[in-house]
Amino acid sequence: MKQILIIGNSAAGISCAEAIREYDQTSKIVMLSDEDTPSYYRCLISYYLAGDVKKNNLMYKPQKFYSDKNIELVLNKKVIRVNTKKNRVSCEDKSQYDYDILVIASGARAHIPDIKGVRKKSVFVFRSLKDIKEIESLLPITKTACVLGGGLVGIKAAYALRRRNVEVKVLVKSNQILSQVLDAEAASLVQKRLEENGIEILLGQDADEIIGEGDIRAVKITSGKIFGCSLVVLGKGVEPAVDCVEESDIKVNYGIVGNEFLQSSVPNVFTAGDVCESLDICRGKNAVNAIWPVAVEQGRCAGLNISGHATVYPGSFGMNSTDFFGLPVVSLGLHRIEKDDQGLEECKVFDAAQGTYKKIIIRGDRIVGAIFVGAIGSSGIFTRLIKEQVDISSLRDKLLEDSFGYPDISGLIQEKEQSYV
Amino acid sequence: MKKKFVYKVDKCLGCKSCEIACAVAHSTSGDLFNAVNEFDALSPRKKVYASSGKNYPVSCKQCDEPQCVSACMSGALAVDPKEKNVLYDETRCVGCWMCVMACPYGAIKPDKKSKKTVRCDQCKDKDEPQCLKACPTKAILWTSS
Ligand SMILES: Cc1cc2nc3c(=O)[nH]c(=O)nc-3n(C[C@H](O)[C@H](O)[C@H](O)COP(=O)(O)OP(=O)(O)OC[C@H]3O[C@@H](n4cnc5c(N)ncnc54)[C@H](O)[C@@H]3O)c2cc1C
Repeated sequence: MKQILIIGNSAAGISCAEAIREYDQTSKIVMLSDEDTPSYYRCLISYYLAGDVKKNNLMYKPQKFYSDKNIELVLNKKVIRVNTKKNRVSCEDKSQYDYDILVIASGARAHIPDIKGVRKKSVFVFRSLKDIKEIESLLPITKTACVLGGGLVGIKAAYALRRRNVEVKVLVKSNQILSQVLDAEAASLVQKRLEENGIEILLGQDADEIIGEGDIRAVKITSGKIFGCSLVVLGKGVEPAVDCVEESDIKVNYGIVGNEFLQSSVPNVFTAGDVCESLDICRGKNAVNAIWPVAVEQGRCAGLNISGHATVYPGSFGMNSTDFFGLPVVSLGLHRIEKDDQGLEECKVFDAAQGTYKKIIIRGDRIVGAIFVGAIGSSGIFTRLIKEQVDISSLRDKLLEDSFGYPDISGLIQEKEQSYV
Repeated sequence: MKKKFVYKVDKCLGCKSCEIACAVAHSTSGDLFNAVNEFDALSPRKKVYASSGKNYPVSCKQCDEPQCVSACMSGALAVDPKEKNVLYDETRCVGCWMCVMACPYGAIKPDKKSKKTVRCDQCKDKDEPQCLKACPTKAILWTSS
């Protein structure tokens, strides 16, 4: 019997297993996870810490899912090596698993910055339920916290801590928050909203050292200034979890390189999700787009290919949406034009009275990026225009109008099913 | 059996009766007279857009491969295993707006007040969608494909 082994029991791994089972009831599927909990909605951990989501709504697939689909789930199994010659993986506890097909859906890990004192007690990353539970256990004695990094995860951590009545300072190295997904204008609107809700943000401040013993902590920044706090959260980005394949011949660039079938450089090894580097439509080259919908889609595509239904992965792009204390924000694809980007143009409208901001980035006659702050209702249509690389030359004047809607693009796209007759 | 909306564009006058009926149907009081007092809570799930001189009502199309479901990161959206329509469990919605961003029709809207998304539920607790009843020209059809 064919054995399919999946490393990682989260968005990508699960959606892969589900897709395989749509067509293949007989192969054995084994999923390995180094976590001690069944699957959960990783993106909800900040909402859980904030108290917005209860524990039972955090859980993703119940045990019944695995038994119904005849999937064997093994928790507390950390794969440390993949031997592609023997088709075998080795785990930390010395156990081994053979496979005919391997799926690496090991996701991402929090980046630990090279700062003195970063390994001290009360310094946390913000990636897993375990991290959140540890932070939560300290909340009764936590009055102040410092978040290092102003990316989405750092800001979400700050939001959660603030909701639990902790005084929060966010130290951001660059001169704006969310520099990976927003431009300066959008970021300043978000920053204002965060500050109005009691989150302190310090731009252009890089942590130099985390000092203090026992329960007292402080963060020293490069200028020598010191901020006292009892808890530190690291929000310095994530990196693909590629450790277990490092000694193998599976090609790793930044993430594990997946081809148009999400197959790695070794034909019986597939990859999907935050660990996978594949075509980015907006950048026109390979990238890791570490977001939930991409993990689900890629997992599914890999699963279909494994079950013999050849499916080309059309490529992905970054897309993020978040609500910051009632301010909805969406960012799609490219968010700013870098100096060496040729042939890109930008259109934007800022409505000070409404507090809304919209921007699109165009290459030729195709949209390759967009930002929406305050008014996000039409953002899904832009997602589509980007995904399908629709020629928007006839739409240029309308794109940023409030009245812009699906009917404006319906003549330019192909629908499987007509709903207007 | 899953049912979908089909619109006869030539019949649509753009009168927005469907929008009003929708807003009322999803208001707390359920009738127009009282619904007008719930001003902030009124959020129609159907919207009529004008384009090139014609009118197009837009609401959830019950896609066969719903992008909103793969984008949902909180478990609020799922495909009904039997009927194949999209189910929305509002109690699990955290207002992250992933589905708004993913909907290829712009048919899902954020409701800032409730911090939940609002989307057409085909008036699941009523005998039929109220927009259908309200349309004076019968431009809205509700059919199982
Ligand atoms: C706080 C937070 C908020 C987020 N918010 C959003 C959001 O709003 N929208 C969005 O789209 N995305 C969001 N994300 C990102 C999203 O969670 C990820 O893109 C998604 O979880 C990726 O799924 P995955 O299956 O690829 O990897 P992961 O979810 O990272 O799962 C990989 C699993 O594999 C396990 N694993 C790793 N290595 C091994 C090994 N060697 N052996 C065994 N098991 C291993 C890991 O422990 C993990 O359980 C957020 C992430 C965080 C942390």
